[in-house]
Amino acid sequence: MTKPKKQTRRTFLKLLGVTGAGLVIGITVTRDRRSPFPANDLALEPDAFLQITPENVVNFFLPHAEMGQGVYTGLTTLIAEELDISPEKIQVHHANAHAAYRHPEFRMQITGGSTSIKVRYQPLRQAAANARALLLDAAAEQLAATRSDLTTANGDVVWNGKHFPYGDFATTAASLKLSDDASLKETAEFRYIGGDVPRLDARAKTTGDAMFGLDVEIPNMHRAVLVRCPVIGGAPKSVNANAARETDGVTDVVTIFNGVAVVATSYWQAKKAADKLEIEWDYPALQRQSSAEIRAAMEAALEHDDGKEIYVEGSGAAALDDANSVVEATYWAPYLAHAPMEPMNCTARIEDGNCDVWVGTQVPELARGLAAFHAGIGKRHVTIHQKFLGGGFGRRGMADYVSEAVAIAKESGKPVQLVWSREDDTKNSYYRPASLTKYRAGLGSEGRIESWSVKRVGPNILPHIVEHMVDGMLPAATPDGIVSWLSDRPHGVFKSLVGDPFSVEGLFEDYDIANKEVRHVTHDPGLRASYWRSVGHSYSGFFKESFVDELAAKSGKDPVEFRLAHLSDDSVLRRAIELAADKGAWATGSAPGVFNGFAAHTSFGAGVAQIAEVSIENRKIRVNKVTCAIDCGVVVNPDIVKANVESAIIYGLTAALYGDITLVDGQVEQGNFHDYTVMRMADSPQIDVHIVSSTRDPVGVGEPGLPPVAAAVANAVFAATGQRLRDLPLKLA
Amino acid sequence: MISFTLNGDPVETDAPADTPLLWVVRDYFKLKGSKYGCGLGLCGACSMRVDGQSVRTCILPVSAVADRAVMTIEGLGSKAQPHVLQDAWVAHGVPQCGYCQSGQLISASVLLEQNPNPTSDEIDAAMSGNICRCGTYPRIKGAIQDAASQLRRETDSGNAS
Ligand code: FES
Ligand code: FES
Repeated sequence: MTKPKKQTRRTFLKLLGVTGAGLVIGITVTRDRRSPFPANDLALEPDAFLQITPENVVNFFLPHAEMGQGVYTGLTTLIAEELDISPEKIQVHHANAHAAYRHPEFRMQITGGSTSIKVRYQPLRQAAANARALLLDAAAEQLAATRSDLTTANGDVVWNGKHFPYGDFATTAASLKLSDDASLKETAEFRYIGGDVPRLDARAKTTGDAMFGLDVEIPNMHRAVLVRCPVIGGAPKSVNANAARETDGVTDVVTIFNGVAVVATSYWQAKKAADKLEIEWDYPALQRQSSAEIRAAMEAALEHDDGKEIYVEGSGAAALDDANSVVEATYWAPYLAHAPMEPMNCTARIEDGNCDVWVGTQVPELARGLAAFHAGIGKRHVTIHQKFLGGGFGRRGMADYVSEAVAIAKESGKPVQLVWSREDDTKNSYYRPASLTKYRAGLGSEGRIESWSVKRVGPNILPHIVEHMVDGMLPAATPDGIVSWLSDRPHGVFKSLVGDPFSVEGLFEDYDIANKEVRHVTHDPGLRASYWRSVGHSYSGFFKESFVDELAAKSGKDPVEFRLAHLSDDSVLRRAIELAADKGAWATGSAPGVFNGFAAHTSFGAGVAQIAEVSIENRKIRVNKVTCAIDCGVVVNPDIVKANVESAIIYGLTAALYGDITLVDGQVEQGNFHDYTVMRMADSPQIDVHIVSSTRDPVGVGEPGLPPVAAAVANAVFAATGQRLRDLPLKLA
Repeated sequence: MISFTLNGDPVETDAPADTPLLWVVRDYFKLKGSKYGCGLGLCGACSMRVDGQSVRTCILPVSAVADRAVMTIEGLGSKAQPHVLQDAWVAHGVPQCGYCQSGQLISASVLLEQNPNPTSDEIDAAMSGNICRCGTYPRIKGAIQDAASQLRRETDSGNAS
């Protein structure tokens, strides 16, 4: 670890107010010495990802969570390519918590930040290539053949026209020395990468066979329903559980750190009994917060508080004084819940000093740490059994449901499956934080943006994330990798950052403007907040791209031309804008009765541009079509890239048109899909996704489709009505 | 004891009569393909076919299916013998997280039985009770249209099953 990064880390910890609180810096996480594999003495195990058995089974241990984004197929494709075997022949297994599966950049085991393909692209291909080379060495030895006479074809070693399955050489290969530098295929030689390998999990996900966390069954499993404080963060003060205990099927009623759990032999019995609990709560300070006051306080802060300087380029906001004209606008984005289709859940068993946890999570290693903490045992006695995730979107990047399930298992002494209701899920999320942001821009004589000043008011997510991680990861580590990564992103501009990068990411980077200033005012009402699909970009894409559209209109310029005029020739975003404008026939204009809006945004390394075609029916906004172009580097699976972008657009449209989490006396008002509306088929648009052909290494795909879409719609609404809608969700006056 | 048929097999259960069918099928009969998403009949994740209709089973007490025929995703088709819709789902790369897809397939199968040639609006109407947070709607629609035309081709050539 280099010195400047340590510096960054200390600054970061100070920011969070956790220095001096007994945090030990610099202790590395204990290496996990257990083998990540099921025991097989005869198999070839060149690394933690691959196991080739004498029975000719090729096992791949998937180091990332499959939550719909397609890593189950994409990462397996990387292995298949270099091992020279068709992807369907590979048995894919969810990797459990183990140090070997740590994210190379975050240095803990995590699926997030649209990084899985990006960080595994090289290492997994190398791992598979090394294994293939070793199998060839073994085959040469076993067959007494000349190594150069051997080749491979779809899982076989081929010699003199004869085919021998890889498994024939597994045991010999396991005894040979593995080299780590087998040569990789040239792009032109790719057989699977860049082709549309059909999703390897599609069949199981259409027959009901795919196993999600909630589908787990273990012997003697009980179901638990947890009643939490109506204001997140409260704890039970007194409990009357008499009626609940007398309900059929109930075996235990236990109090844990954040609520009271009913444990029963079936879910329905637990749920009915939970309704009978009478609980008095110790309410947290959040109880004094309601949405109207939160907004008013943030407006006051925007007006009166200069905040912290986060970033300055040129002469910053001072340059506004020299502008021909100054344009300003203020935008709002509310709190949001993720609402994955599978509500949070976790199955836990504590037995003979061991704790087993079955769960679908983006953070198995954190889950293990939290389970160890709540079970009161060492991490090495905890096993995480990873399952398919019924949606993640960042929500499963937190592991509170694991803490709860393990605490209930410990208190009740029963193996339990904790089942969250939809209401539990909506009311106990780690929310996308609300944000109020004001832009001021100075326009020069040519209608060029000469200066760009932005101030964001709102909560930071990092303190909430760190607080959540403390019990599971400290004192061993707040992983250096995460801190380094955060301080390096994006474009290296956060090196000297004194704020939470997630809070301001995307507000200012995209366009070439001589003078920029970014300020931040932290205002946190206390509602817990965290990653939500595309994180800060989820609002900054809307803010920035709405504002650029306003500036284009003020300058009398075409929105596409205006954007391109502020992008360098080699900009990733430029390529996406040009392709979207071309494919969506931007220059032709829209048909009668429909209106086009444009937006573009870079996030997670990918440039995305979109045209939203909107019509207004009975003062309601209808999105008919979205044309999208993405530049995400080399594409491993074009169809899955498109699926991710379609998904992000629809997820983003839900936020654009409906999403709003509000508080009354600290309680989240929304509970289920009737009051937390999500997009349904009848309202979803036709979506055309186009991929910019590129040879740069792959970047993110799961999130970048989301940030521009709300602005594209808002800009189309302006074209249709002349109204600038600056608050999310978008509502016509 | 409440008796009904589950994927063609006669079954009986001693689950409390007010237990929603979803939880009886999942927790007592251990068929896990039907999912819990909302518990209020709003999302369709729990859809099963009851006497040929797509029903939200999270709000249907098991007593209501006494002597009736219940079909879950496990009864619609299998890996070895997939329903034409399941094949179309795979061909269109529909599932993302996959959690909603059992319910989507159940609703789609009922739609195609009742309307072998649905328009886009008719598909919207039949499928809008089923939420997909991964936003697979465009692919679901494409898969339904493909499956519908394949079924019509089979019917036209006189070898429909
Ligand atoms: S779980 Fe039954 S409709 Fe949502
Ligand atoms: S595929 Fe994830 S909710 Fe539909």
